[in-house]
Amino acid sequence: MKHWEVMVGNKAVAYAAKLARVQFISAFPITPQTTIVQYLADMIAKGELDAEYVTVEGELTAQTAALTAAAAGVRAFTATSGPGLLYMHHPMHATSGARLPVVMAVVHRSVKGMQPDHSDMMAQRDTSWLMLECENSQELLDTGIMAFKIAEDSRVRLPTIFAGDGYILSYTAEPVEVPGQEEVDAFLPPYKTTFPLLPEQAEESRRWLMEQWGVGQDPQLRWKRQQEAMEAAKSVIKEVNEEFGRWFGRSYGNGLVEEYRCEDAEAVIVGMGTIASTARTAIDNLQKQGKRVGLVKLKSFKPFPAEEFQRIGEKVRAIGVIDRNISCGSGGIVFGEIRNSLYDLDERPKTLEFYAGLCGKEVRVEDIERMAEKTLKVARGARVASLVGWV
Amino acid sequence: MIEVRFHGRGGQGAVTGVRVLATALYFEGKFTQAIPMYGTERRGAPVVAFLRVGDHRINERDLVHEPDIVVVLDPLLGRMVPVTEGLKEGGLVLINHPRSGREAGLGGRFKVATVDATNIALETLGRPITNTAILGAFAKVTGMVSLESLEKAVLKQWPGRIGEMNVRAVRRAYEAATEPVDVSNVEGVKVAPPRSRFERDVSSWRVFRPEIDEEKCIGCRRCYIFCPEVAITMEEKKAKINYKYCKGCGICYEECPVGAVSFTQERL
Ligand code: SF4
Ligand code: SF4
Repeated sequence: MKHWEVMVGNKAVAYAAKLARVQFISAFPITPQTTIVQYLADMIAKGELDAEYVTVEGELTAQTAALTAAAAGVRAFTATSGPGLLYMHHPMHATSGARLPVVMAVVHRSVKGMQPDHSDMMAQRDTSWLMLECENSQELLDTGIMAFKIAEDSRVRLPTIFAGDGYILSYTAEPVEVPGQEEVDAFLPPYKTTFPLLPEQAEESRRWLMEQWGVGQDPQLRWKRQQEAMEAAKSVIKEVNEEFGRWFGRSYGNGLVEEYRCEDAEAVIVGMGTIASTARTAIDNLQKQGKRVGLVKLKSFKPFPAEEFQRIGEKVRAIGVIDRNISCGSGGIVFGEIRNSLYDLDERPKTLEFYAGLCGKEVRVEDIERMAEKTLKVARGARVASLVGWV
Repeated sequence: MIEVRFHGRGGQGAVTGVRVLATALYFEGKFTQAIPMYGTERRGAPVVAFLRVGDHRINERDLVHEPDIVVVLDPLLGRMVPVTEGLKEGGLVLINHPRSGREAGLGGRFKVATVDATNIALETLGRPITNTAILGAFAKVTGMVSLESLEKAVLKQWPGRIGEMNVRAVRRAYEAATEPVDVSNVEGVKVAPPRSRFERDVSSWRVFRPEIDEEKCIGCRRCYIFCPEVAITMEEKKAKINYKYCKGCGICYEECPVGAVSFTQERL
């Protein structure tokens, strides 16, 4: 039976793990992720969740323990934030390299401070993990459940991050619908490993792993296989998102992106996470004034939905990208991905870059309205001093 | 949508209070958002939290800058923090204060309601944790939430005896809250924010005041060692409190082995 509860984002994350019936949890506490670990420990202590909880001495071990558990055939979960995620970087490659569907919640915290931005996750960009971003606590809970199904799909078999902005979501309480356990069980069957570690299966698993790593074959094969799995993940994410909608009455755009009020838009802005949430109000306000600017919420950062942006790029004359991250020396990472996607179009829209919300700087409705208006101006052919702005 | 800003001090339970109120409003079919602001986690330091109440999902994820209502959990906080900043014209302030709305030190184009939440909390809970008392008054003066939903939310947060005690605080405050009064012709107390983040005058944080009886003091230095604010000095083998730095936590009172420290409520 489903029920509603007023809860903070971190509790929604814990609920996702509980409803997914995770069997193994290893995590090291770090602000603002800490209460996730506390809620889960509490659920285990009360006997509501039958999982092995391993306290570890740091994040490197947390990830290593989770990948080992997943290899042994149980559903494994971990969670971290900011610098903790940086500590995990090394074993994260091992998890994806062994094609183990570990699911991890990332509660964003900047790598240059306590407050949130997406620099922690962006620093893992090339680890072959799927990365799904959420804008509110309901989406955290729902995406957490979907993440297991996507990661464990035989076409994907890659570890998956689902993420939300620290503080803004982790500690804010709002009503969340908690699906019933029976429905979640029906939606998400138990995890079956393709990587058995029982002694009698040792030879089989060795062969499988060697194959993933390309031993005795083309050494590039492991990367090629991960890239193919990422490409395949696009349709899996769409399917799972749709199926989730059928079961629970909620889905998130097409799973990869959500186009909000983009019909007849001359321009769109692109945002991830809570910025996309606030942007809805900004877009509502502008459309009330007859301004034809829409919002594209980027939900799946990895795999990156290039095809979606090509389709959108054909319809609009300008795209303003809001990046809560920066790769100094290049620029916004989402901006770069979007420009990359648009290159082969015959007629390309103008692109604008905005840096906002870095190190937790507040992003107000008015800020987003200004960004959207500037993008609209450029779409209408206006010349502006700079296509790059720090908000 | 209605937006509320809460001002309190670390230890008064502002964050939990906002969450309980959000739950109570949710029971009445509202969509809510309870947003805490975490700063230094230090007992007595000023804290802020926000509440948004709407009929549908709330998408705004920024902070509340122009509240409709301001709730102040501490009578003296207004001297240090500009609690009415950004408050909408004609808006409402609910403040924990023993006197009437016109005597609470706030003036401007808004209304002020009061409730003596400190004493209600002391009488019902035995501690100056003012969050639930202020919520009872909130229900009365705003009419936004029923007493019934509020009590249900309180019991959900603290099942059992603690919850029952807090329900009593809620009810007492509901009865005791004063009507909101116009204060447009009242001269408010001047806000004197700390001159720098290093200034440590915490005298306005005190609800209780420690006092050392020199006759009884045996100079054991325990209070001196345990005072978290380093407010105690030893002079000629007797403990002395520098009240500028004393936040009234009561640790000296708890620690003194000979009962040389008294601890009584500050007069406003
Ligand atoms: S009450 Fe006592 S221990 Fe606490 S700050 Fe004041 S002098 Fe120090
Ligand atoms: S603890 Fe009591 S006896 Fe010891 S120095 Fe302080 S006041 Fe004096």
